[in-house]
Amino acid sequence: MAWVAGRYAVRSVRRNFRRTSLSIVGIAIGCVLALFMESMNRGRDELFARAATYGGSGHLRVVPAGWRDTRESRMRLADWPRDIAAARALPGVATATPRAHADVLLAMGTHVVPVALTGVDPAIEPATNRLVRTITNGRYLRPDDTGTIVIGQAIADRLGVGPDDQVLASVVGHDGDIAGAMFVVVGIIRTGSTDLDASLAQVPLADMERFTGLRGAGELVLMLSDWRQTDAVRAALAPRLASGDDVMTWAEIFPDFKGHVAQDQATARLVSAIILLVVVLGVTSAQLASVLERRREFAVLSAIGMSGGRMVRLVLVEALALGLAGGGAGLAIGAPIVWQFARSGLDFRAYLGTDYAFAGTLMEPVLYGDFGWWIVPYIFAVAIGATVVASLYPARFAARSDPAVALRVAQ
Amino acid sequence: MSEPVVVARQLTKVFASGAQEVHALRGIDLVVNGGEFLALVGPSGSGKTTLLNLIGALDAPTSGELSVLGTSLGTLSRRERAHLRLHAVGFVFQAYNLVPVLTAIENVEFVLELQGVGAERHARAVTVLDELGLGDLANRRINELSGGQQQRVAVARAVAAKPRLVLADEPTANLDGDNAEVLMHLMRDLRDRHGMTFIFSTHDARVVAHAVRVITLVDGRIANDEEKPGEAPHEIVAGRGRA
Repeated sequence: MAWVAGRYAVRSVRRNFRRTSLSIVGIAIGCVLALFMESMNRGRDELFARAATYGGSGHLRVVPAGWRDTRESRMRLADWPRDIAAARALPGVATATPRAHADVLLAMGTHVVPVALTGVDPAIEPATNRLVRTITNGRYLRPDDTGTIVIGQAIADRLGVGPDDQVLASVVGHDGDIAGAMFVVVGIIRTGSTDLDASLAQVPLADMERFTGLRGAGELVLMLSDWRQTDAVRAALAPRLASGDDVMTWAEIFPDFKGHVAQDQATARLVSAIILLVVVLGVTSAQLASVLERRREFAVLSAIGMSGGRMVRLVLVEALALGLAGGGAGLAIGAPIVWQFARSGLDFRAYLGTDYAFAGTLMEPVLYGDFGWWIVPYIFAVAIGATVVASLYPARFAARSDPAVALRVAQ
Repeated sequence: MSEPVVVARQLTKVFASGAQEVHALRGIDLVVNGGEFLALVGPSGSGKTTLLNLIGALDAPTSGELSVLGTSLGTLSRRERAHLRLHAVGFVFQAYNLVPVLTAIENVEFVLELQGVGAERHARAVTVLDELGLGDLANRRINELSGGQQQRVAVARAVAAKPRLVLADEPTANLDGDNAEVLMHLMRDLRDRHGMTFIFSTHDARVVAHAVRVITLVDGRIANDEEKPGEAPHEIVAGRGRA
């Protein structure tokens, strides 16, 4: 767009102050709503990632090859000490801890409860699993413990046990025979979710190896300093692992979880699209009114030789100016709102309670929005995109006007 | 004898008005040579504006042939007609029709910019405005100018790109007698200096007096085509228009 034409476009935007102001307010409100939805979307993504990972699954999990298909708890890593050393050497990996799982029966007297028993490194586990930090009775496992166990409140209730009681664990050993061992309950975990409290049972990894007869770890759980780096760290780690070991992201481990996130995001984006459609229709109406008001002017421009393409560009430059103004206003209004949303969050405790769990994972009842530099390009992209789209029809209308008819009508 | 600038053969234009047809032009035969200063006169509805619009490639004839500056308009696309108007035809309208959000000089520069004139655009616009006595008013907004000044800016816009043909539809209709006189002198002067061809429609007898050739239209037909033996005297009047 040339210089004089650009000035013409910008000054035309200012011509009808009231209409332009209303258009800018409309664009700004639409942008703020879209920004809020996007902030919530990103916040929800992080909420789910945090819930999934801090619940013990980690951002990344190193598993035996083939585990992703069978999910067999008896499988063990090819060389977990080498894998954990490789993981800890990578930048961005905050913690890495080994685990092993076994399906066992816990019994106390005549009471029997099936649980997925987990062998852990007591020194590192609390750093990767916030659930085990909620010991309400007794204590957590210690690195020098032998023959000890921590269990969820629901398991303790079903077995009728408390700290210092002994429970009998039975498992199908590596040779196919039933193996048994006694464990002393040292702590009771109460996460707030009955479902989770009915599935938590942990013993030291060394005890697990002796008990099941299966040597080594079944998985390594990695926590990253920034969950957004999940794919990058995974790509860096995969070639460094022992042959026969594999690495999965939290989204791959919980496909239902990721699917739920994607569904929520799609819904939120649909709502954003509907909001923007309303804004686009409003701006189209205002821009069309502006073009209709200037029919004679466009006819004159056509008479002096302005081509239809140039006229379209002229109206689109007006739209660009309108979009910039609307985006600026939207940023001024939206940034403090989204900042507050990111700081204080939306508290859903009244609706969800404090023990809402999804897909076996305890969810935080407070949703925090995401706030960052991304809001600047986002809001201007939305504002300019919506305004330009809204101006396409008025621009085409201006370009297709018959100058002779317009001048005849105007005279 | 100069080359013909406009050649019309059996030119007709019919407008549909609901179920009725309005015959605005009924078989016009016309040849306008380069450098002519031609007035189209006739009562309202006689077809003056329609003929100007056809010659200016703003509208297409219903039938007949029309050639402007050697180009047959019948076969031109919208884009080609816009190109012809931009590079070869200047327009002056009765209601000035300047762009109100631009200054006087920006209005003139706009046409040059559309033509793709680069660095010398501003200097050329200044020269044209000076030539029409508007040098001091170049940076004024249009609504800060009088009617006579606005019409002179419109003429400046029309001639800035040095078109071979300038079409003016009742250019003095909104001007008082003195300003009308000034404008006609300026247009004659531009024709003399730059060899442009001027065709203008008018009802004003004083304006007709400046024309070298007068064509009278009645009911869409040429009723009279009179060429004056000697041109009316005129003087260089740049800068003389009243505010």
